[in-house]
Amino acid sequence: MTDREFACTVNGTKVARRDVPDDERLLDTLRWRLGRKGTKEGCRTGDCGACTVLVGGRPTLACLTLSHEVAGESVVTVEGLHDDPVGRRVQEAFERESALQCGYCTPGFLVALTGAIKSHPHGAGERALLEAIGGNLCRCTGYVAIRRAVASLGTSRP
Amino acid sequence: MHGLRGDPAGGRIARDVEAVTRRDAAAKLRGTAEFGTDLEAPGMVWGALVGSTVAHGRLRRLDLEPARRLPGVVAVVGPSELAGLLPSGKRDAERPVFPESILRYRHEPVAAVAARTLAEARAAARAVRVEVDPLPVVSEIEDVFPEWPGEEGPRSPHVIAHVRANHGDVDGGFARAEFVHREVYRTNGVHQVALEPHACLAEVNDTTWKVTTSTQTPFGVREDTAEILGLKEDQLVVDGSWVGGGFGGKAAAFLEPYALVLARACRKPVRLALTYREEFELGRTTLPSIVWLDTAVRGGKMTARRVRLLLDAGASLPGRDFATGYAIAFLLGPYEVPAFELEGYALRTNKPPFGPHRAPLAPQTAFIGESHIDSIARRLGRDPIDFRLAHVWSEGSTTPLGQKVGPFGAAEALRRAGRLAALWRKGLKPHQGVGVGVGFWGTGVGAGGEALLRLTADDLSVLQVEHDIGNGSVVVGLPAVAERVLGLPSGTVRVLTADTASAPYDSGVFGSRTVAALGQAVEKAAQQIGTTLAKRMGVRAKVRLEVERGQFFAVAGAKRVAVRELLTPDERRGGGLVVRDRHYGKPGTIDDARVREGTFYAYHDFAASVHLAQVEVDRETGAVRVMRATAFPDVGTILDPEMVRSQVEGAVVMGLGTALSEETLWGPDGRMLNPGLLDYRIPTLGDVPPIEVDPVEGFAGAGPFGLKGLGEPPIIPVPAAVANAVADATGARVTELPLTAERVARALKLL
Amino acid sequence: MSFSLATPATPDEAFEFLAQDPEATAILAGGTDLLLDLEEGLVRPRTVVSLRRLPWREIRWNGPRLTIGSLAPLADLEADAGLRRRLPSLAKAIHAVGSLALRHRATLGGNLGRASPASDLIPLLLVLDARLSLVRRGDRRELRLDEFIVGSRRTALAAGELIESVTIPAPLPSEYLWQRVRLANDISQVGVAVARGTTTSAWRIALGGVTPRSVRLPSAEKLLGPGLPAPLAMELAAQEAAQRAPFTTDKRATEAYRRRLVYVLVKRAVAAVAASADALPETPSPSRTAKKSVPAKARSTSAR
Repeated sequence: MTDREFACTVNGTKVARRDVPDDERLLDTLRWRLGRKGTKEGCRTGDCGACTVLVGGRPTLACLTLSHEVAGESVVTVEGLHDDPVGRRVQEAFERESALQCGYCTPGFLVALTGAIKSHPHGAGERALLEAIGGNLCRCTGYVAIRRAVASLGTSRP
Repeated sequence: MHGLRGDPAGGRIARDVEAVTRRDAAAKLRGTAEFGTDLEAPGMVWGALVGSTVAHGRLRRLDLEPARRLPGVVAVVGPSELAGLLPSGKRDAERPVFPESILRYRHEPVAAVAARTLAEARAAARAVRVEVDPLPVVSEIEDVFPEWPGEEGPRSPHVIAHVRANHGDVDGGFARAEFVHREVYRTNGVHQVALEPHACLAEVNDTTWKVTTSTQTPFGVREDTAEILGLKEDQLVVDGSWVGGGFGGKAAAFLEPYALVLARACRKPVRLALTYREEFELGRTTLPSIVWLDTAVRGGKMTARRVRLLLDAGASLPGRDFATGYAIAFLLGPYEVPAFELEGYALRTNKPPFGPHRAPLAPQTAFIGESHIDSIARRLGRDPIDFRLAHVWSEGSTTPLGQKVGPFGAAEALRRAGRLAALWRKGLKPHQGVGVGVGFWGTGVGAGGEALLRLTADDLSVLQVEHDIGNGSVVVGLPAVAERVLGLPSGTVRVLTADTASAPYDSGVFGSRTVAALGQAVEKAAQQIGTTLAKRMGVRAKVRLEVERGQFFAVAGAKRVAVRELLTPDERRGGGLVVRDRHYGKPGTIDDARVREGTFYAYHDFAASVHLAQVEVDRETGAVRVMRATAFPDVGTILDPEMVRSQVEGAVVMGLGTALSEETLWGPDGRMLNPGLLDYRIPTLGDVPPIEVDPVEGFAGAGPFGLKGLGEPPIIPVPAAVANAVADATGARVTELPLTAERVARALKLL
Repeated sequence: MSFSLATPATPDEAFEFLAQDPEATAILAGGTDLLLDLEEGLVRPRTVVSLRRLPWREIRWNGPRLTIGSLAPLADLEADAGLRRRLPSLAKAIHAVGSLALRHRATLGGNLGRASPASDLIPLLLVLDARLSLVRRGDRRELRLDEFIVGSRRTALAAGELIESVTIPAPLPSEYLWQRVRLANDISQVGVAVARGTTTSAWRIALGGVTPRSVRLPSAEKLLGPGLPAPLAMELAAQEAAQRAPFTTDKRATEAYRRRLVYVLVKRAVAAVAASADALPETPSPSRTAKKSVPAKARSTSAR
């Protein structure tokens, strides 16, 4: 273990601290050191997608990422979506279509969709968006309302 | 008011969403909703459980010292420590916090630790030395009864429950039969897979034991935990968090007693949560069953049936013979069969205790009963839907156990399914098939609860102990009842939550009961508000409420008065007009003369559920693809269409998992073989077919406005409909759940 | 439990870290597999060397020859228009891995380096005759994939050595079919890769989901002969493959069912490649090949 600095930006805010152990997961740093608990812990094995965040714009499973690997990067969590026009559009689509129930998987879906839209500068079609959440597990909705929400986004440009 | 939290929604995300559908949307979409796994308190330490290393054994020695010596450790608690920590009250002998001698399943908690960090707590848990003398492991039903037992059956030490019932001339029915249809079916275990693992936060001071937890039943947790720890219920306060899915898995105390004992030991707040692996290894889940069905057929009708059930109950079965009787009675289906004989055993095995899972055992028993009736219809050359219509219950039917059936929409749903099936059949390609499944449920309107409504000049709220578990019953359903009674637009009534010390009693969010049962208390309380205001206005007409610029007005005919004017001075200064009401349902009655042994359940309210599924089967590999599904739920009346749709869609997909891919696997040593979300396969987005919902209204239930509970019924017929569609596509009958490609391939004689 | 993390920015720095404590060092590429083992305590390295900052992410064509940097995330490969056009079977096999979220993290080098017998990529790369470029300080060697993977989760990678890139000599007409329960987040019970060499016309068949490692099946390949196989030859080759495959029973499928799947999927994959190869000249130009090589088949072929 070293006392190296953990420095990155989280939702646009610079973060720098020295108490992050080398073997810590980004999920735990976000939740328990930075208080960003909107990112959820589900399986912790990369099989559910509840902990999806954006690292440098790329959807990333925070449970399978060591915190120090994101040094210098920009991290976006569900808490940062509301200040982003794309993120907000995705939130609105989920609200409109009642695409959430218990809400535990919801942050992962929102973040993955936001990342997918933003990574397709010429517009992401419905298929690309569904692919982006193809590995996110939801136990309540049966995905049907989530598909309605995605369809309601149309061809999404960032 | 102590522990009271405001409306968690606090606004909407989208300006263009007119009907406020879910009051929890904003918090959940912004990531601010606090779930059980998010709970935290100043000075908090982290708990971890120490589990049994064998599935069955005698505890020889538990050495806690190595854990105590590790850095960061603040509490290590085993059975010997309990006496010094707990009050001297009587503790439930059947549910010890930690077992003193016999360990009944792998990972059964034998001790618990707390430390400054999670890593330290885990290290401490690993350091505890558990020395065990292994005993023979009973890992499955066949280890107890390799075949249906004879008279010696009830004497087996593994029998937890033995139930029997009969009615009519069974022997005569079989003697006069034109043929007897005999089948054996098996089902495997399924896990609830709420995505949020169990988690709670316990705090103990000199007067109060408090636990905040992700639960469907705060009062149930209080009762269970008080019994387990030997506390008086008033000493214990249970508060809820948002619940990341329940499905029956969070309907009883689980981690709370361990967390409280640890908090008592170290006098610090203790967070205790399961990893997802532990969710599987410790989960209280549905376990396997084997069922023998013999049905006598004469003159194109089912005339007599024998049902025999062996149920794997794991280390224990809550409700014992009650649960067994409940499961076995479902195997008669919602059909009139003049003579029957039922016998069932629940068997103790070295798996974790059995636990409820959305309509406990009903999807499994409906798969069995509905596959059986389908294969009888096919043997007779009859259309499966017509054959069901010739037997299905309607209002006034007598159930096999002698109960009268109330308004029941099965026949109407079946007729609709028949019309749609005919349409689907026109477009069928080779290796495709259509199947129907029928389920029924007695929704839990018997379980009691109380409602508290509070009206001020500018606010009307429902006070509630439970958080919504996702199904919308709390954040949409209960306030919608009050809104409808008082003529208010959707979204006007707020929902407040409080802990068990402050909120009125309610038995919990389970059994499809919240809106159907507690809703009746809300309905009556809202009516009380109406009559109170009418009296104060001096009118006889019904009073409704309006909201204008945030102020509430009472309206009766042409008369319109601000609520502010109608409140007494005390109410204006204080807590407004507070009304309470209650609903404690009366169970139905069964004919005791039909019961030979054990307890059989009297249903409260009969809801039918009929599904149609179309599948395509790969004739070379056995792989099944569900192409589409339509559900015809018997809903009574619809309170909120969006809720009906979302409940049914979610239930159908959960049922598709039970039908095709979900299965807990256990080794002969009692070890779970697939404890993770990679190899316990719930459906993913791409696996889900288009799903339509066509609700059947008009068969009134006992709930407010005649609605029926909806959380569970729509999952029940899904595996049955899929299995029958596979049989329709291939002519082959798969007799074991789930219908994996390999099982279908075997039924197709491909290997 | 705890380890220290090294995040070298250059290969030389990486070699330095690797040399310090080679016995107790784990190499982290995407981490989608290693981090699970770390969490479960199955491996307990003192040092973890993350390759994230190394530059090996390029997708490069040199005539028919395709070279892929070992650290290219799988998601980038499947999104690469050239790869999708010229070697659709590889894009399809990559698509079979986990979920898109995992593939954003997982790398080609990591998949090969972990050498899982259930890998969806190894069978196809075997029939495409892939080679690995292995580097360590001042040293470089090339190994064929079948030389590199020596057992279940065991490779010929030497201490201090890293996979720099993977090279496929030419994009052959090829197909990858698999069966699993779910569309995403699942492990294939069986994977079947088939390719037809354009110059020698020799068929190649390789299997995944076998024990202990993915293998070619020369005896079944021979039965397909040099040209386009007759239906009987396909049938015999499929039977041979099903019989020869080194399968066992595990929690995902029984041995008998895996043999059944191989029989079915070999027939289907050979037929798909034959159908496309039908229209091909013996030595096509790369771009021709690419256009005609077997396109990713519809979802139903993955026989869920």
